[in-house]
Amino acid sequence: MTDRSIPAAIRVSGARKVYTVFPNTKRTAVEDVSISVPEGAIHGLLGPNGAGKTTTLKMLLGLVRPTAGTFEVLGADARTRAGRVPLGFLPEQPYFPQQLTAAQALRLYARLSGLPEREIAPRIDELLERVGLGGQNRTKLSAFSRGMLQRLGIAQAIIGRPRVVVLDEPASGLDPVGQRDVRNIMLSLKGEGVTVLLSSHQLSEVEAVCDRVSILNRGRVAAEDRIDALLQVAGRTSVRVAGLPNGLPEAVRALTGDVAVSSGAIVFSVADIDVRRVVDAVDDAGGAILSITPKRESLEDYFTRMLEATAQGVGS
Amino acid sequence: MIRRLSAIAGAVFADAVRRRIVLAVLFFAGVLVFAIPLLPSYGIGVIGAVYREFGLALVFAASLVLTLSLAANRVPGEVERRTVYNVVAKPVSRWEYLVGTWLGIVTVMALVMGAFVIVLQGFGLLRYGQPMWQLWEGGLAIWCEMGVLAAFSVAVSSAAAPLFGVVAALTVEFVGHSRDSVLGQGGGGVLRALYPSLDTFSIVNPVAHASGVGPVYLGSMLVTFIGWAGLLLLLGSLSFGRRDL
Repeated sequence: MTDRSIPAAIRVSGARKVYTVFPNTKRTAVEDVSISVPEGAIHGLLGPNGAGKTTTLKMLLGLVRPTAGTFEVLGADARTRAGRVPLGFLPEQPYFPQQLTAAQALRLYARLSGLPEREIAPRIDELLERVGLGGQNRTKLSAFSRGMLQRLGIAQAIIGRPRVVVLDEPASGLDPVGQRDVRNIMLSLKGEGVTVLLSSHQLSEVEAVCDRVSILNRGRVAAEDRIDALLQVAGRTSVRVAGLPNGLPEAVRALTGDVAVSSGAIVFSVADIDVRRVVDAVDDAGGAILSITPKRESLEDYFTRMLEATAQGVGS
Repeated sequence: MIRRLSAIAGAVFADAVRRRIVLAVLFFAGVLVFAIPLLPSYGIGVIGAVYREFGLALVFAASLVLTLSLAANRVPGEVERRTVYNVVAKPVSRWEYLVGTWLGIVTVMALVMGAFVIVLQGFGLLRYGQPMWQLWEGGLAIWCEMGVLAAFSVAVSSAAAPLFGVVAALTVEFVGHSRDSVLGQGGGGVLRALYPSLDTFSIVNPVAHASGVGPVYLGSMLVTFIGWAGLLLLLGSLSFGRRDL
């Protein structure tokens, strides 16, 4: 559950959505989801297909009527018109009226966002530049590539200078340079104090920018924490050494199970209590310690492991 | 609110006037105006009346096609293409989206019908030497009727498929002009007052015979138009507001 004593930019409590499928079949898309995102943070929403991520976002934005739950943005009910004033949204694979130019489309969304008329033209120029579409003001959207539409989608999401932005798969359809640009935009938004709720399949993107993540599975929050806390392997330390042409000393080999060689360095992990002994043994063998850090698994490994554990739990 | 409504209406207008169906209907209706004098029943003495009657029938038919094609497809199309997300996720109420859409459609219809009437009047003046100002009253009546039908189509298609919206609107059009057939001439009592009649907008005869209907009747016609359109858009907004997008 979310802690109401902590000020939050986004607070979803007990979200639930049950669809009635003709003739009278019920399908639960979201079982029970609670998320709290502090102001100025980037919060990741992860989960496999069908986990309930997009439905949760749609309930937050008032696009889907929840069966139960409350949805607040900066303390106001996000499902009302007034509650959406500080909110920007990038839908997954955004679509636009094809006959409009980029500037005409952004002008429309700027007016709907309530941006003062005199600010619209300079804001459009600024945003098109920021999302990498500088000079495309007069280009018809029918001539835009998938990646360009995605960039325009980001521009429309932030055109009203929102304090909270919800991004659903913002890197979808973008090449590596575009993905990097999107990451930089998210980080710059964070620098401006904007809160970002990011739903993504791109684990590297989430790992790179998010302060915290919520992992959804089967319509529930399966895990939620800081990325570091989620990925840290309790009681293990990662050690990187070099200058050992004969490999790890026997005393070290006995303490570690996972050894990898990378760019001339040997990387392995040991129990925290063995770190002192390992350092001494490497030193005695004439090797050099390059780094000692808490052991951390990749988000991809964590995510896969968690989903497998959930599947086994359901199957057993 | 006005700004949001005008922004949505402007977007609908800009999209609609680029549609091929609008240009096609305008073109063929324009061509047909020039063909009216070739009709066999055309005779000396009733020449102006027949011209006006056929002219208004032409405007009505063309407007009906345009209204239904624009109004029944707009909302389902936006939902299907998901362009609606970029609008209703902004600080825009569902009812504002629906009313803005309707305003855009009736603005397009006003433009189209204004163009029709100008062509009809211009051709009538050149060919018969009559200014035929009553055509504007007839055009206004048809525009009001199409505005009600557009409100109905928008309301229905916000919750149902476009084809259903078209069929339902045509049914309303038929039923709306069948009050006397259903209830009997002047009969029906209370039911007559509650009957969803569109007969108020049927002013072909006074327009064809050049007597016109006068400003009071035109005013009552506008009140009827606003009342029906408002009620239908209210019902549509209630329905659309509950819909998952």
